[in-house]
Amino acid sequence: MNDKPEKFIDENGLRLDGRQINEIRPMTIKIGVLSRADGSCYLEWGNNKVLVAVYGPRELHPRRLQKSDSALIRYRYNMAAFSVEERVRPGPSRRSIEISKVSREAFEPVVMTQLYPGAVIDVFAEVLQADAGTRTAAINAASIALADAGIPMKGLVAACAVGKVDDKLVLDLNKPEDNYGQADLPIAMTQDGDITLVQMDGDLSQEEFKQAVEMCKEGCRQILEIQKEALKNKFADDTAVNIPDDIDEVTYVEAIVEFDIEEDEYPEEDDISGESEDEDEDTGSLDEEGEPEDIEEEFIDIVEEAADEEEITEGSDIREQ
Amino acid sequence: MEREIVLPGQLLSENKTDSGPGTYVKDGKVYSLLYGIKNTRNKIAVIPFSGKYIPSGKDFVIGTVIEVTPSNWIFDIGSPYDGLLHVSEYPKRVESDRMPGIMDVGDSALLRVKDVNPSMKVELSMRERGLKPLKVGRIIEVVPARVPRVIGHGGSMVSMLKKETGCEIFVGQNGRIWINGNDSDLDHLTEAIEMIMQQSHTTGLTERVCQFLRNEKDVADAEESIDAEEDLAEEEEAEDEDESEIAEDTYRKVDALLDETDE
Amino acid sequence: MKRRLLREVISVSNEVVSVLKRDYIYNLMLKGKRIDGRSFDQVRDIDVQTNVIDKAEGSAWVRLGDTEVLVGIKLQVGTPFPDSPGEGVIITSMELNPIASPDFEAGPPRENAIEMARVTDRGIRESGAIDLSKLCITEGEEVWMIFIDVHVLNNSGNIQDASSLGTIAALLTTTIPAERAGKGDDMAMPVTDIPLSVTVVDIGGSLMVDPGLDEETVCDTKITIVSNQDGSISGMQKSGDGALTEEQLLKAVEMSCAKATELREAYLADISN
Repeated sequence: MNDKPEKFIDENGLRLDGRQINEIRPMTIKIGVLSRADGSCYLEWGNNKVLVAVYGPRELHPRRLQKSDSALIRYRYNMAAFSVEERVRPGPSRRSIEISKVSREAFEPVVMTQLYPGAVIDVFAEVLQADAGTRTAAINAASIALADAGIPMKGLVAACAVGKVDDKLVLDLNKPEDNYGQADLPIAMTQDGDITLVQMDGDLSQEEFKQAVEMCKEGCRQILEIQKEALKNKFADDTAVNIPDDIDEVTYVEAIVEFDIEEDEYPEEDDISGESEDEDEDTGSLDEEGEPEDIEEEFIDIVEEAADEEEITEGSDIREQ
Repeated sequence: MEREIVLPGQLLSENKTDSGPGTYVKDGKVYSLLYGIKNTRNKIAVIPFSGKYIPSGKDFVIGTVIEVTPSNWIFDIGSPYDGLLHVSEYPKRVESDRMPGIMDVGDSALLRVKDVNPSMKVELSMRERGLKPLKVGRIIEVVPARVPRVIGHGGSMVSMLKKETGCEIFVGQNGRIWINGNDSDLDHLTEAIEMIMQQSHTTGLTERVCQFLRNEKDVADAEESIDAEEDLAEEEEAEDEDESEIAEDTYRKVDALLDETDE
Repeated sequence: MKRRLLREVISVSNEVVSVLKRDYIYNLMLKGKRIDGRSFDQVRDIDVQTNVIDKAEGSAWVRLGDTEVLVGIKLQVGTPFPDSPGEGVIITSMELNPIASPDFEAGPPRENAIEMARVTDRGIRESGAIDLSKLCITEGEEVWMIFIDVHVLNNSGNIQDASSLGTIAALLTTTIPAERAGKGDDMAMPVTDIPLSVTVVDIGGSLMVDPGLDEETVCDTKITIVSNQDGSISGMQKSGDGALTEEQLLKAVEMSCAKATELREAYLADISN
C-alpha cells in the first residue's frame, strides 16, 4: 500500500476521483432497513457502506449505569472484519472505542435524554465497507436512524472532514488523500452550526484551520440537505404520501416543552411482603431485584475488560482505512 | 388543513405560544423535536412516525409478566420502563405464594397505569372493570404512535372493527392490541389492523378498512359451511357476554382519554 | 420465598415468550398452519446478493425473510497446521452484533454465536467443498487462510441457514488474490461441492423448516442438517432443550435434504466469481 500518488490535484484543479476541492462524494441513504431495530439507516458515501441501528429508549442494565435524571446514550462504532483490505479482528479496538466515544458526544447536545430518566438509547454503527471517512459516514447515518426511531432531538447532526493535500484544503477526503494527506479534520455540527465533534491530526496553519472549518460547515450544510431530503422522501413511493386531513383525533405525544420533573418526595421502599393497600408502603422492590442480574452483568464486564486489555497489548492504532 | 412531514430541528413557527406536543422553543421560535407529521390545531404539534411507549397515569396497557416477586408482578409493557402490579392491585386478595398460580412469567393481562413517579417507577392496577389476565385471544403489536388511528376519533375505528368482525378488541396505549373471537374473524381483523398501520397517514381510512372487512366477509361466508362447526365450538369457549359488556365500558374510557389529549 | 427470574425461564433465547403467542402458534400448528401463513416445508422469501463488498475477496448479503446476514471472505497467507502441511486453513467467525436484535449484547461471542459459527464451519469443512490442497503455496510453510466472517445484521429467526447460504454463496464468488500477495496468478476459490444447511424445528410434535423468530423462540428442539449436492449429509446439530424421536429425526433429515436441493438449484446454481 505504498502507492502514494505524485499529485493529488491536477492542473484543472480536479482531485484523483475527479471531484472539485470543495465537492463531497455522492451519498445515498435508505431509511428503516432493519426490522428488529427501532430506527435504522443504511448509508453509502463514496465507497463507504455503513449500517446504523438505534434501539431505545430501553431499559438499562446493569442498574448502576443508569442516570436518574436522563437517558444514557451508548454509541458503538464497529468495523466488520471484511470491511478493509487487511482483515480486522472482530471486537473493539482502541481506535473504535475512541471513535465511539467522540461520536456519542456528538449527539449528546441534541438528543433530549432528559425525557427518559434511567433508560438507555443505543446507537450501533456497523462499517461494512470502509473507504475513508467512516466515522463521519456513521454519524450521518446515526442522525437519521435516531430520527427514524422517533427519538426527540433538537435537530439533526451532519458530519464531514476537511483535509490538506498538495498544500491545498480539500473537502471530504477520499482514501489516498486520507492515507497520505497532510491533515485530516473531521467535524460534526448541528444545523445551527454548533460543533459537536472535532478531531484533527496533521498540520494546518491557523489561517488554514479557519478556512477548513468554513469548508466543513459548507459540507455539513450540503449533507444536512441530503439527510432532510431522504427523510422527507421516505414515504414518497408509498401510497400513503397524501397526508390525511381527517386526523382531527390525535395529538398523542407528550408535550415536551411542558414536561417538568416534579421533585416529589417518594419514600425509599423496602420489600415488604405484606398486603397493605397503603400506597406509601407499596413494595416496589426494583432495587433488590437487581442483585442476581448484577452478578451476571459484572461477569460480562470482566470478560469485556479482559478483551480490552488484549487489544492494548496488541499495540498500535490501526490507521483509518 | 395543512399536513406536512417535519424533521427534528425544523422551524415551525415564529411565535412561541404555538408550541405544542413534540416541539420545543428556542429564542422565541418553535421547532420540531420529532420526525413526524405537523398538526396545527390550536397549537402546533408533531405526531411522530415511530417511538417507544412512555407510560403515563391512566393509560390502558397490555403487559406480559416477566417476573413474579413476593408482592409484585413485574410486567413488560413495551416501554423502557417495566410496570409493577402490586398484589393489592389485583381485584381479589391473593397470598404471596399463590401469585404465580394466578399469573406467571409469560402471561399477559389488560391493565391500567395507576401512577408514574418522576423516576419512572410505573405502578399498574387491575382493580377496574374490564381489566383481567388474558387466557384466550391474540395480541397484536403496533407502533404506539399510531394507536390513535386504530381507535379513531371518538372510538369510531374501533367500533367499526368490532361491528364488522364481531371480535372483542382492547387497544392498549402501549401499542398492544388484544383481540378475541373466532379464528377467521381474528385473521381478518389482524389484516385490517395491519392495513391501518400501513396506511395510517392516508385519508378516508375508516371507510376503506370497513370495505376491506366486508369483502373479506363475503369470501369467508362462501367458505363458512366448511368451518362452521369448528367456529361454533370455539365461540362457545371464548365468548362470555359479561366480558364483552365490560370491554365496551373500557373503550369508552380510552376514547374519553383520547379526547382529552386531543385538545 | 419464590423468586422467579426471567433469565431462569428463558434459557434458549432472551425473549419472553408470551403464553398467548405460544398457544397461538401451537393452535395453528394443530391446523397445519404457521404464523406467517407458510406451509410446514416452505422457507421464507430469499434474496442473495453477491460481491457486495469490494474490500472482501468474496461476499454475499442474504435476506431470509427479514433475517439478514452479510458474509465476507478474506484471504491471507499464513502457515499451515503441522498435521496438514499441504492444506489451506479455514477460520469461521460469527458475531451476533447488537445491531441485529434487541437481545444481542456487545461483547465477545457467546455460546450461541460460537455454536452457529462452528456448524457453518463444519458444513464447509466436512463436505470437502473447498479443495484445501489447492490452497497450499509452499508445503509446510505457506498456505492460504480463508477467513469467513458472518456479520449478522437482523435476526428475524434462523440465522443459521442464512449464514450457511451466505457462506457458500460468498465462497463461490471468491477470488484468491495471489497476484496482490506476490504468490502467482489470481485464481477462483476451488469450490467442489455446495453444502447447504436447512434447519427444522419441532413445535408440539410437528416439524417445520426455516423457523421464523417466533417459531424459533417457542420451539422445543431445533435440528440443523447440512447436505451436499449428491444428497449426502456432512453436518448436523441438534439444539434446544427438547428431544426428538428417531422417527422425527429421520423425517427432519428427509425434509431438510429435499429443501436443500431445491434451494441450491434456485439460489446457488448461477453464482460464480
